[in-house]
Amino acid sequence: MRRLVGLALCLGLALPAATPVNAETSIPILVPITGFLSLEGTSQRNGAVLALRNAPAGVTVKYEISDTGVAPEVAVNALERALGRGRVSAVVASMLGTQMLAMLPVALEQKVPLVTVSGTAAITERGNPYVFRFFPGDAVVKAAHVRYAAEELRARKLAVIYQTTAYGQSGRQHIADNARRHGLEIVFEEGIETQVRDMSPVLGKARAANPDVLLLHLHAPSTALVIRQAAATSFSAPIVAGSAMHQPPTAALLEPAELKGVCAETNASPVSGGDPAVDRFLEQYRREFGSEPDGFALGQYDGTMMVLEAMARGAQSPAEITRALHSGIHRGLAMTYKSDGRGNMAHSAQIVCYDGQTRIPRVVKRYDDIAPPSN
Amino acid sequence: MIAALHQAAARHGMAVPLIVGAVLLVLWPTAFSTAYDLRVFTLAGIYALLVIGYQFVFGHAGALALTQGAFFGLGAYVTGILGARYGQGFVVTFPLSIVVPILLAAVVASPVLRLDTHYFALATLGVAQVLLLVALLAEPLTGGANGIPGVPGVELLGTPVPRGLPLAGFVWAWVILGALVARQLLRGLYGTAFHVMRDNPMLAACLGLDTGRLRLAAFLLSAAYAGAAGSLFVHTIRVVSPEALEFHVMVAVLAMAVVGGRTRIAGAILGAFLLVHLPEWFRVFEKSYLIAYGAILLAMIVFAPDGLIGRLERWFPPAPAPLPEPEPLPKRHPIQGEGPLLALQGVVKSFGGVRAVAGVSLVVRRHEILGLIGPNGSGKTTLINLITGLVRVDSGTIRFVGTPINGLRPDAIARRGLARSFQAATLVEGLTALDNVAVARATAEGVGMRRALRASWSDPSLARARRHAMTLLNALGAGDAASCEAGTLPHGVRRRVEIARALALQPALLLLDEPAAGLSETEQADLADRLAAVREAGTTLIVVEHNMPFLARLADRLVCLNEGKVIASGRPEDVRADPKVIEAYLGRAGVSS
Amino acid sequence: MLQVIVNGVALGAAYALLALGFVLILNATGAVNFAQGDLVMAGGLLVVAASMVWPVPAIVLLPLVLGLMALLGLALSLLAYFPLKSQPPVAVFISTIAVGIMLQNTANALFGAEPRAGPPLLTAGLVELGPVTVSRQALAIIAVAALLIVVQHVLFRHTRLGRVLRATAQDREMAEALGIRVNTVIAGTFAFAAAYAGAAGLLLSNTFFVTPSDGSNYILKAYIAVVIGGWGSVVGALCGAMVIALFEVVFPSLPLVLPGLASLPGASWLFSQTMATILLYVVLLAVLVVRPQGLFGETVQRRA
Repeated sequence: MRRLVGLALCLGLALPAATPVNAETSIPILVPITGFLSLEGTSQRNGAVLALRNAPAGVTVKYEISDTGVAPEVAVNALERALGRGRVSAVVASMLGTQMLAMLPVALEQKVPLVTVSGTAAITERGNPYVFRFFPGDAVVKAAHVRYAAEELRARKLAVIYQTTAYGQSGRQHIADNARRHGLEIVFEEGIETQVRDMSPVLGKARAANPDVLLLHLHAPSTALVIRQAAATSFSAPIVAGSAMHQPPTAALLEPAELKGVCAETNASPVSGGDPAVDRFLEQYRREFGSEPDGFALGQYDGTMMVLEAMARGAQSPAEITRALHSGIHRGLAMTYKSDGRGNMAHSAQIVCYDGQTRIPRVVKRYDDIAPPSN
Repeated sequence: MIAALHQAAARHGMAVPLIVGAVLLVLWPTAFSTAYDLRVFTLAGIYALLVIGYQFVFGHAGALALTQGAFFGLGAYVTGILGARYGQGFVVTFPLSIVVPILLAAVVASPVLRLDTHYFALATLGVAQVLLLVALLAEPLTGGANGIPGVPGVELLGTPVPRGLPLAGFVWAWVILGALVARQLLRGLYGTAFHVMRDNPMLAACLGLDTGRLRLAAFLLSAAYAGAAGSLFVHTIRVVSPEALEFHVMVAVLAMAVVGGRTRIAGAILGAFLLVHLPEWFRVFEKSYLIAYGAILLAMIVFAPDGLIGRLERWFPPAPAPLPEPEPLPKRHPIQGEGPLLALQGVVKSFGGVRAVAGVSLVVRRHEILGLIGPNGSGKTTLINLITGLVRVDSGTIRFVGTPINGLRPDAIARRGLARSFQAATLVEGLTALDNVAVARATAEGVGMRRALRASWSDPSLARARRHAMTLLNALGAGDAASCEAGTLPHGVRRRVEIARALALQPALLLLDEPAAGLSETEQADLADRLAAVREAGTTLIVVEHNMPFLARLADRLVCLNEGKVIASGRPEDVRADPKVIEAYLGRAGVSS
Repeated sequence: MLQVIVNGVALGAAYALLALGFVLILNATGAVNFAQGDLVMAGGLLVVAASMVWPVPAIVLLPLVLGLMALLGLALSLLAYFPLKSQPPVAVFISTIAVGIMLQNTANALFGAEPRAGPPLLTAGLVELGPVTVSRQALAIIAVAALLIVVQHVLFRHTRLGRVLRATAQDREMAEALGIRVNTVIAGTFAFAAAYAGAAGLLLSNTFFVTPSDGSNYILKAYIAVVIGGWGSVVGALCGAMVIALFEVVFPSLPLVLPGLASLPGASWLFSQTMATILLYVVLLAVLVVRPQGLFGETVQRRA
């Protein structure tokens, strides 16, 4: 008897998973809310949700948020589950490279566009027409990263510290390509794991190589650790960090004085303000989520908004939305987006710098329409 | 209807719930058949295969290995690299994904398997971590942290197996095959041998079981299953990345084995099924579902440490099987040659600063009963341990039928024809008295993996061993207790079962460590008679005892030890009257009495 | 060079507190506390939260953190150890894994997954020590950790309470027979170990930040430290922690200290952090194979 009850309970629990939801269009939000990328995933989530709340008149879309964690199969499960529940017009997808790669075949099969802000991994190089990335790829931001060092800081010798993750390994390659393009020499290069705490060995070796500029391509915790410990040991060369630096929680880990002279590349820095539309976004984001937005949130907002505006113009089915994303031009808050034919929508990058007084950086340079080096 | 089910259950034990479970498992994908449900169901199958494999080393061999995730990832990478980079199909990737982890396991096994629990766990963890780092670093081969996308799905004879129900069926077919192989291996005498080994490895060695070989077999099997699961995994999600090698996979497998039941195949399937589906069912909790996952794991291990299947087995206990017909044991080959059976020469053993055995020389003649006496701490049990190989001699030789045996492993010595009983009871609880004795026939039956695989539906080795065991139990007067679980037996019966077990090895020399301890006078008399019969049948005995009357009736000769040295030896009445012996037992003042 | 050593010692000192708690529980109960790493993380987050309410140097918050973490340790023993007392040790291994998962994800739910910085022990900044500048924080970490280790040593070796704890660790049944309240002692050991883990978290929180997912990394270090140092040996755990810090900090810095090494072919890859990690594991495996009792442990009885 007990067994039957237990069995009924199990079936009852599973039933919600099995019943199809009614057929309203939806945009599922499948992003990492737990795990090491949860900060970025939460930014994705917030940006997408904000766009959906600001949807153009006449567009009513449901959305459901699902955590993709860290493992690729969890993301694919989430995608399959979302696709089974009602009419999906587009999917806001996790920016974790390995998860995107795992989701691509499913998107291709089901012919549903994935809208993401993943900057790394060769997701747009698999010939899959259903992926759209609204964040400048590594090819773009690393070009800006190196170009800033070469042109503005007049560097000849670079030191590079990168993360031993997918993000890091991809960026390192592009930094090397761009350095070659500008005729710069990489005098020191080392990859460190995310768990490394003490940066004195790697900083010491970087310093010993006598670089003009130190480039960082690390996730947020490692970036903050390097900058803190570099400041503590009076590291002389200027530091230009990766996108992780511009995220407000990263800056929150450091004292403003430690940030003096530090710059970072990013797609956009909404907290830096300067544009009325961006300021409105900033204010609404703060109000709705009680936290500071970063470039990922802004990029996801823009991407989701492009989908919604396509729907407002009449695109209904996933196929129509996909076509609209491929052929349209979207003037977003961070930049103007246009597909390069393979789903890369963002081609601009910015460099922001900290003046040592506050944790809010200033935009010092914009690079638009960056073409990756041909190699 | 319910009453009828209850009756059937009482008669057939777990058969009813297992059949119900199997039917539900088959019906599940028909009830939950969206692409998503089937994908999760397929993943559950992959993990089930992984956990069945893990049960060999974790459950049956009782070793906390933390390499299962690593072998899984290794198999995944082999398939990923061969499939995506070299365009190989399933027929190539699958077998190689099994072979490569086996090879790694074989390489790693030798230094690692002889370590004790925690060291073993950590060593395997170290291996897993190194593997992960290699995968991250060897970018040209493994794609680095990005992994390798674009692995093809399963293709058989040119036709792809479509995703959804066919793929789920394909994966679960492998699960069923794996389950059948596992069952075939472990349900007979081979499985019982594992049970003894994990309960008491020292005892297993004294029964002639090569514990090193058993552990190695378990380790290699677990690696093979893990590799197979890894290959199926990558063909299902079609991308391989370092996450497959990370510790959370290992934690998940461990949790599934614990939740389901460490030694039950049904437990592996149930555990995998539940723990793959739970995070999906808990999606509604958004951020906190992992907290719930941890809470459930904790609840499981606290309230159902045998796992869910273990709990179920308590509600559906098996009906007691009928006792087998006793069958006389095959004739033992007589010992060749002449001369003493056992000869010790100048044997010395120290533990730290204590000289337990300080130069003992003695001889045991064929077919005699030698009594070994001496006050507490005189070195009697140490001597037995030295002879049976549990402890190594510091110097001196021990010869059995002329060949030195000191330096041999205990199981090798046991196989040569020396058996022993222990001072403290060492029956394996959880096994019946019959099986406790039957497992000692394992070496004689030539138990091993190959034989276990070839056996038909019911293992003839086990059946025969049980029949032999029945004979022995009857000979020791413990036949009525044969089907009782060892933990429930009274002390006197336990002693008999232990001796029966030692006799199951058909030893030329039987060493008994205080066999009469705790027995009533009637029981002692009965035991003495039975031991005399054992000697008549051709076995030589050494009996360590304090109990003089018992020994006086039984022994041909007595040897008395004191402080690690032989102080008297000869006929029982002479030794008992020897003043040195009396002084050793009672002190100087007792000499006069 | 001095700078490298000071940094290494500071890191090792913090790890030592973590390993110390781990080995104390191991001795008292024979069980591996897999949640020890998550306890370090909890201590770090506690000090972060406390400093948000009361922005003072971390040294002031240390007693508070020690006290609260002791309570958490008590709770851990009630959840994960006492219900499983009669089970084999692997059950506690798993139950502490489960509690660790719960701790980690509760922290995640409460604080978010991003790293947080704790307040400095005294003040930030550098200090001149002869020709070299070292960070004040590193020196403070060494001082505080050393103090706590001395306290543990005095407590265990020279007080009655310490004798009681050691007796229980050596032979639980005998201790019970002597009238020692074994359960109270064990609960106390858990509380102590958790408090020290929390202290480690506090010490690490400023220089190295706290992230909810730190736990699994720390427990690995504790485990390795205890095996290298000797299973069950307190001195061994401390030495093992230093060995780990040696690999983490000193080894990758070797080309700085001995410039000749920097010109070796493949030096950048040979002396990288990743290689240091691999070498640590190789040393660990070597220790397990060649000398399983570690540096200070008792000879491991071979399984027959």
